[in-house]
Parts: sequence; structure tokens; C-alpha cells
Amino acid sequence: MAIGPRLRGRPAHTPGPTFLNYTPNGRKLITVGLNNAMRIFETGSDAEPITIDDVQDAHTAIAAANGFFVVGSEDGTVCKYSLETNSLDGLLVRSTLPIRDIALSPDGIWAAVASDELVVKIVNTHDMERVMYLREQPKPAKHVSFDPSGSYIAVSCTDGVVYVYSLSSEEPELIKKVHGLIRALESDAEACSRVVWHPDGRAFAAPTATRDIQVMSRSDWERQRTFSSGHSSEITALAWSLNGALLATASADRNIVLWDTKTQTIIKRFDQTSIRATILDMQWHPTENLLSYTNNDGELYLHTDIVPPEHASLLEMALQGAPLIHDPLKETPGNAGRMVASGLMRSGDNSRKRFGTPDSLDEILGNDGNSEGGLDFIEDDDGAGYVEEANGNGKRTSGHLGNGMAPPPKRPNYNNDWRSPIHMHESFQPGSTPWRGNRRYLCLNLTGFVWTVDQNTHHTITVEFYDRDRFRDFHFTDPFLYDKASLNQHGTLFSCPASDQHPCTIYYRPHETWTTRVDWRVELPAEEEATSIALSSSYVVATTSKGYVRVYSLFGVPLQIFRQKSSPAIACAAWRDYVLTIGNGPLKADRRTCLQYSIENVKRDQICQDCDTIPLVSDANLVNVFFSDSGDPCIFDTDGVLLVLQHWRTMGQAKWVPLLDTNQMARLQSGRKKELYWPVAVARDKFHCIILKGGETEPYFPRPLLSEFDFHVPIATLAPSTDDEEEAQVGTEVQRLEESFVRKELLLTLMTDLVHSTNATHAQTMELARAEVEVDKTLLQLIAAECREGEERGMKALEIVGLMKDRTGRMLEAASKIATRFQRDVLREKIDALAERRLVGLEEVEET
Amino acid sequence: MALPLPPGLTPSEMAFLCEMELVTVIPRQRLEGLELLGGPTQPLNPPFPAPLPLWLALLLKRQRRANIRTPPWLRPDSLAAILEFETDTAKEAFSPPPNLPPPTTTSLHVDQTTAYLPATATTLELSPPFLQNSTTSAPPDALPYHWLELSQLLLAAAPDDFEDPDSVRRLLRDLREVRMAKLRKGIEVLDAGAGIKMNGVGGMEIAESRAFIGGVVDGLRYVPSMRSMELWGGGGGGSLCGTE
Repeated sequence: MAIGPRLRGRPAHTPGPTFLNYTPNGRKLITVGLNNAMRIFETGSDAEPITIDDVQDAHTAIAAANGFFVVGSEDGTVCKYSLETNSLDGLLVRSTLPIRDIALSPDGIWAAVASDELVVKIVNTHDMERVMYLREQPKPAKHVSFDPSGSYIAVSCTDGVVYVYSLSSEEPELIKKVHGLIRALESDAEACSRVVWHPDGRAFAAPTATRDIQVMSRSDWERQRTFSSGHSSEITALAWSLNGALLATASADRNIVLWDTKTQTIIKRFDQTSIRATILDMQWHPTENLLSYTNNDGELYLHTDIVPPEHASLLEMALQGAPLIHDPLKETPGNAGRMVASGLMRSGDNSRKRFGTPDSLDEILGNDGNSEGGLDFIEDDDGAGYVEEANGNGKRTSGHLGNGMAPPPKRPNYNNDWRSPIHMHESFQPGSTPWRGNRRYLCLNLTGFVWTVDQNTHHTITVEFYDRDRFRDFHFTDPFLYDKASLNQHGTLFSCPASDQHPCTIYYRPHETWTTRVDWRVELPAEEEATSIALSSSYVVATTSKGYVRVYSLFGVPLQIFRQKSSPAIACAAWRDYVLTIGNGPLKADRRTCLQYSIENVKRDQICQDCDTIPLVSDANLVNVFFSDSGDPCIFDTDGVLLVLQHWRTMGQAKWVPLLDTNQMARLQSGRKKELYWPVAVARDKFHCIILKGGETEPYFPRPLLSEFDFHVPIATLAPSTDDEEEAQVGTEVQRLEESFVRKELLLTLMTDLVHSTNATHAQTMELARAEVEVDKTLLQLIAAECREGEERGMKALEIVGLMKDRTGRMLEAASKIATRFQRDVLREKIDALAERRLVGLEEVEET
Repeated sequence: MALPLPPGLTPSEMAFLCEMELVTVIPRQRLEGLELLGGPTQPLNPPFPAPLPLWLALLLKRQRRANIRTPPWLRPDSLAAILEFETDTAKEAFSPPPNLPPPTTTSLHVDQTTAYLPATATTLELSPPFLQNSTTSAPPDALPYHWLELSQLLLAAAPDDFEDPDSVRRLLRDLREVRMAKLRKGIEVLDAGAGIKMNGVGGMEIAESRAFIGGVVDGLRYVPSMRSMELWGGGGGGSLCGTE
């Protein structure tokens, strides 16, 4: 490939290994080499560089901040030089063995020094007495690199392992050893095993033994995309452009390859045979289309316009995402989890600009240097960077505040106008997890689980059941790339997003039939996507991006289609004939949408609840929505509270009642455990979930065991540890009984509703009567506890007696017996009087 | 004809008794409730865990119809904690057994309304195998009576249900050695009338050491009687020594 005549090596040092580094603002370029001089080049000027002479020679590493730079040399000293006075500022650290690499944290405060010693030192550049040590590697480190936020550091060790430390704590903490990523290289080898962090901080890249560049994500340490087959000899240097859109790599055969990050394709290859020696170090200029590199022969190359004009726009883009296989920021995951949802994820171009204040100074005076579109007041004609570039919001960046490498913003830039962002709840498929690595669960419930593996060209889906006798596990190759599934005892329902070959398709596969299998597919109209699907024992439900709710029978007969009243849809669930749909409703005062649900009986074509709200507290999100095994809708939110819908069969009567607050569970009270609960189901009066430890947010492979917890209505805080143990015990006993009463009463009403609205079996009726007795028994225990407390609690005890459901009088008789036993005669008389009144039916009259 | 077995329970009999312990099982297929001699079992309905006697659980496990949930005390971290307690804190004593639940009334048809009253009827102190000491609701910090035999049976039949069977095996062997050493050390202080405290010692450990301890105690009982015999009539002792 032709090399422009402008590319010429500048003999910067005597022949030998040479290294370079730009200051973060891009104004100066510093090179070090074999001789005892350091050279400072001004960007954009062809003048002779400034030379700083030094006593040490054979410099091996350089790192520069805006005001100073740090140089390491083969004799083991690391010196700091000021860029203002261009003179030695002092010795930073001394090592007994040669220095191999130096990295500065983005804020310039810490300098990590890798030498041939086993320990990597991180020295404070202002106070050399403050040092942190990274001691875990058994062999010398070859390279060190800070992540863009400065809270992680990756050490490429000569044993072929990458050690990643977290610097957030007081002492650096090893969080991951990455095996099999880089090669084991000698610390003075020409080839490179450097880990380079992608500027968005979510991933890093490193050259592998196969001469590819492997990207690895920091969140789950999974191998992501690869930049492959670009080099035929060892990779010696690599660098991301500052926005992460381009990757430049150089190999020992003096080829330089430019890669497009997004597609991992080669944009351009430079066959630099004119360069005499291996390229050892390269770096992009922070703003310009300029790549600089130094070789093993003391030469510096400033390769201007290295990105061909047709691709030059790549360099001007905003920060690009790292090439992850399933980028959680790009695709909306199935499980909304704790992502901040927003319907206003617009790109910067079409966002509405703020109108100026009428008669403002700007309007009167017209454009000046800082106003957009106007001529710049200060003309930056020598490229020295007097004026900071305004960013997309018309604001100057905080780059001038020091490091020039602003950490990526924590949340996306929603909106540029005065309004604060609107938070809309993202749609999700209940029971699914987002992609992690190349696999995810599409559905996890008490019947079984569906999971899919991304095989690049297709997916493979596996359905496994808990009951292996009744169902047979199955596995199939999936060219449609299904991304949602719902599973129950009768069949499995899948849906796939539209692609250029097929529209959005819903696929139902029954588990067993008495004829040949009758699986069916429906294709939704063009440009309509299923946002969530649900399967009950008699219906198939899908909510779509066009705001429709589509109901099919189990054989694919379309039964109903209607517009959802609150949209965009969030999720849906189905149980027998009932369909529950959730959508985004009107805005609340905190600029989040109010979630609304509707419940409909499809068979009777009857609406049970219409656009009723789901009360979520402040910034909580829905995690899962499902029907319990007895058919009551349940939700679980990010606050860790399980809520059940009471009286939902009567219009307007429904209310959400907490069944369990997982933060208040006894197992968390010691404060030592940190765990999350991923809801699976509510069945047999228990909450079934997967316990997630170690900061995980979704279950992953291998499939974790299900755990079950009893309900515990959050009536009062759990047993406080008081000094007076006896008193505390009595107190907790009463609390326990009170909680038990509320819980049993709640379950009783749920059961009563069920029994009264369905054709209840005899067993169910019996169960109901038994549950009623259970509630009364709890009350009796409560009366006993109150009687034990003392005479003065008699009023409360009498009130509790009044709560009893029993109309036969047996329970009141028992209550009176208790009062007798504790010699509370007044109470006993009152209970007897109450019993008599009830017997003749007076009580009912009094109540009305 | 005298039974050729030593007195007391042999280790194999102990292991047989242990099979009555209840363990938690995650069924992989449905099974109606069974009317067993020990009482009815719960109907099995995957994936809901159910308590089953160990022998039935092992049978279902061998037929791949169920998975056994290991009790909390058989996890590596709990075993490590118990081992540390045995070696560092407890000194001579053994780690305490799980707490007994409060006694329950025997009669099944107690008037429900009087259940809160102090039981006047005869109460029953539950003991193994009726304690749920090996189900998932067991306390994680105490070794139950049948700990050794139960863990051996589970490790042999269901190693795939353990988190880390190898470290569990190692910890169990350590525990066993530590406790056996303590038992043997206790014997050193034994005298004819003395005793050692054996709270928290498991059934299998007793069965294993019964022959040895019994022999020692018998021998000790024999020595003083021999001495008194020596005092009483001189000649007999000498001939006895000669025969040994």
C-alpha cells in the first residue's frame, strides 16, 4: 500500500527501543529512548523538539499527564519531570530491577510501575511515600494499564495471566485472574501482551497467542468479539482511538492495521516496510486524525491522516460502545431488571435545542465566541487548544478540570431541554434473564426452564423439566432466534423478533397430543413486534409494539385482538381464562410513568380490573409478574417485596398486599449475608426463588437450586436485641402471633374469593373451613399471650375476641376458658356476655 | 444358644437405624403418598421438596427419580466451622448436638383449644429418627446423632448432589479423627468408678468404640478385683499372671 511522502521517521533517539506518550490534552508528545535525552514534541509544529537531558539512560517506559510526565529506566529509577519547567521534578520510586512499564491513572494521581520485581507498585505522584502494592503475581509483570475510571488496574504478567485488581478499597484487591488470554512473554520481549481498556470501560482487549485481539467484558469476564486474522506475526503494539471507534494494531512484520470496532473488520492495512524496526509503542492523538508510533530503532513516526477520508467520520463520533456480543445498553434485555428505562433515548442530533430566553443578553449581542454556530471568539489557529470544543449539549466539557478523559457518564443523556427525563418502564418477559456471555434463560418457572445459546448464526434452545417422568426434555436448533418463551404443563410458547427473512412470529409447541404434534406458528403483521408473551392452560396471549393485545386459543385460533388501554406494554401473564396485562400509564409527580394493569376473563369476555395502578415505591421497578398456583396475581419488585392482589375478581376492590419483604427475612438479619432473591413462583403458600450471592443480579449457569421461603407480612421489625431478654421474648411472641393472624387472614380471604368464584371442590370447601379455624386459633393464642401480660391488657383481649369468625360459639367458650385460667374474671364475664349476644344474633344488629 | 454378636449395636446395625432419618428430597417425578409403617409420606410433586426417610430417598436416588438436598450441616463451610470449634474452642468436649425441640403431647386428638395450656397429658421427648435433623431445616452448626453414617451413605449414593464432595469427604475425615482422638484420650483418665462426658458423640462413634472402651473398662474392673484377690490369698494371683 502506498505511503504518502509525508510519512518519515524522525530520528528521535539513538537506535534502540523507543517509547512515546501524548499528554491527555494532546498538545505535547514525549519520547524516550536508549540515550539519556527525553524529547518533547509540540503537536502541529515542525520545530525542533525540546530536549531534557538526564543522567539515566536506556529509558524503558513513559507516561504523561498534562503537567508532568513520568519516565522509567533500565537502572530501576522512576523520575518525574515537570512539563512547565521542562526539568527534573524528583525521583518517584526506585526498584532494584529494570522498569518495564508505567501507567498513570486517568486523574494523574497514581502511577503504576511494573518492573522485573514481582510486586507492582502504585505510587502517588504527589507524595511518593504513599504506595500501594499489587503482590499476587508470581512472576514479573510486563504491562500495567488503568481502566478509564481509574478504579481497576490490569497487570499483564509474564506467566501469561492477566491479574485485574480493584482499587476502590483501601488495599488493592485481586478480583480476577484471566487465564488463557495473553501469551507468557519475557518482560523484555518485543511482542506485546498489553491489556488495553476500551474507553467506555466495560471491556478490554488483549493480543492472544493466535495473533488475534480478543475483547473481554469486565462485568462477567466472558470472551466477547475478536479482531481476528489481521496479522501474520506477533502483535507488538495496539491502541484504541479515544472514542473507541477504531483500534490500531501493529505487528512484528511492521504491518499496521486499522480496525472498525463495531464490525471488527479491517479498514486499512499499512505495510510499513520502510520502517526499519519493529513498532514498539503507538498512540492516537486525542483529537486529531493522527497516530504516532515509535520503533525499536530510535525513530518516531507521526502518521497524519492515517484514517482514510471515507472513514474519518468514525474518529469524530462520540464515545462508542465496546464490542460486546450482547450489549446490554444496545438491545433491550428481556428482563428489565434495574435498568433505567426511558422512552427518550434519542441521539444527539434530533434532540430539541433549548430556545433562548427572550431578550437575553445573548440575543441582544448576537453570536460570540461561546455561542454555537457563531464564529469562535478565540480562533484556535495553532491547534494549541485554547478553546475547548463544545460538546453535543453546547456545554464545555469538564476536560479542563484535569485529566481530559472524563469518565463515561453514568446515565445516558436523555434529553437536552429543561424538562427532567421521563422514566418509562421497560417491557420485559416474566421469568427471563438478559444475555450473559452467549446464553440466557428465556423462561424459568416451576414447570421447568428454557434456555438458549447463541451460536453466532443460529441459536440452540433447550427445554428442561423438573418432572422428567411426565415430560421429556427437548432441544432444537433455532434459526428464528427466539427471544421470548413461556412454559407451562401443556406446551411451550416462543416468539422471535422480525428479521429480513421473516416477520415477528409466535410459535406454540404442545408437549403431548393424542394425534401427531400440532405445533403452529402465527406471523404478526409487518413492523409489529411481540413485547411479551404469556401462556395459560387455555390461551396464548401476546402484547405487541403496536399496542395490541392478541389472544389465541391453544390451537392458534385468533380469539381476540384489542388495543391495550395503557401502553407501551410492559408484560403480560395468563392463568386459565384470566389475562393480566401491564402497561405504562400516565406520569406521576416524580416523572415516572404509573404502571397500570388490567385483568380480563377471556372466556366470559368480562373485565375484572381495568387500568388499575400497580403501586411501586419511588424508583423501584418490576422484576417479575406471575400468577400463583391458586391463581392470584403476584408481583415482585426491585425493592425485594412480594405483593399479591387481593379481591381482584371484583371491579374496583383490588388491592396489592405485601406477602413477604425479602429484606426483612431472618437470614439477612445478621447483616453478614448479602444476597438477592430472584423470584420464580408462589406455590403452596410459599415463595419460590433463586438466591443470588456475590452481587449477581440474574441466575446463570449451571442452574441454581430453587429455595423456598414462608410468607412473612411486614407487620413489625424483627426481634430487636434488647438487654431485657425475657421482655423482648414476650414482645416478639405477641408480634409473631399478630403477624401470623394478619397473614392467615389474608390467605383466608384469597381462598374465600377463589372458592366463591369457582366451582369449588369439596376438598377446597373443607380447606376453607379449616383455614377459618386456623385464624381463630391464632387469635386464641393471642388472647392467651395478652392475658399473660396482665390485667390491664383486658380491653385489648376483648377486642381480639370480637375479631373471631366462629359463629358456633365454641371459640368464644374457649376464650372464656383462657380468661378463667389466668383468673381474669372481668374479662371472662365480658366474653360470656359477648357470646350470649352473638348466640341470639344481637351482635349483628349492633354492628350495623 | 447364645448369639455370637457382641453386646450393643454393631456399626452395621447403626447404619441400618440411620436409614430411618428424614432427609429432604427434590423429586424428579410424581409419586403418590405411601402408607409406610413409620407413617404416611407426602405425595411427591416436582419440583417441590419433600421429607422422606433416608432408605426411600436412597432408593429413589439410585433409580434417578429424585435428588437429595444435603442437610445444612453437611456443607463445606459449616463442617469447617464445626471442625474449627472442635479443635480450637471445645478442647476436651465434643461439639454440642442440635437443640431438642420443645416436647409435644402424645395424644393426637387433644382439644385444640387447650393446646396453649401447659400440657397435663404425658409429653413425649422426641429423639432421632423423629427429629428433623437431616432435612434442609436442620441447624447448620450442630452434628446430629447419626452424622457419620448419614454422611457416608449420602456420599456413597449421591455425591453429585453435593456442592464439593471431595472437600466434604476431607472435612468429615478430619472431624472423625479429631473426635476419635478425643474419645481415646478420655479413656486414659478412666478408672473403675470414673466416667467421661460423651455429650454430642454420634451413634456410629459409640458403636465403633464400644468394643474397645468396654474392654478397657472390663479390664479396669478386673484389675482391682485381682488386687484384692492378691491380698486375700497370695498364691492364686501368681498363677493367673502366669497364664496371661
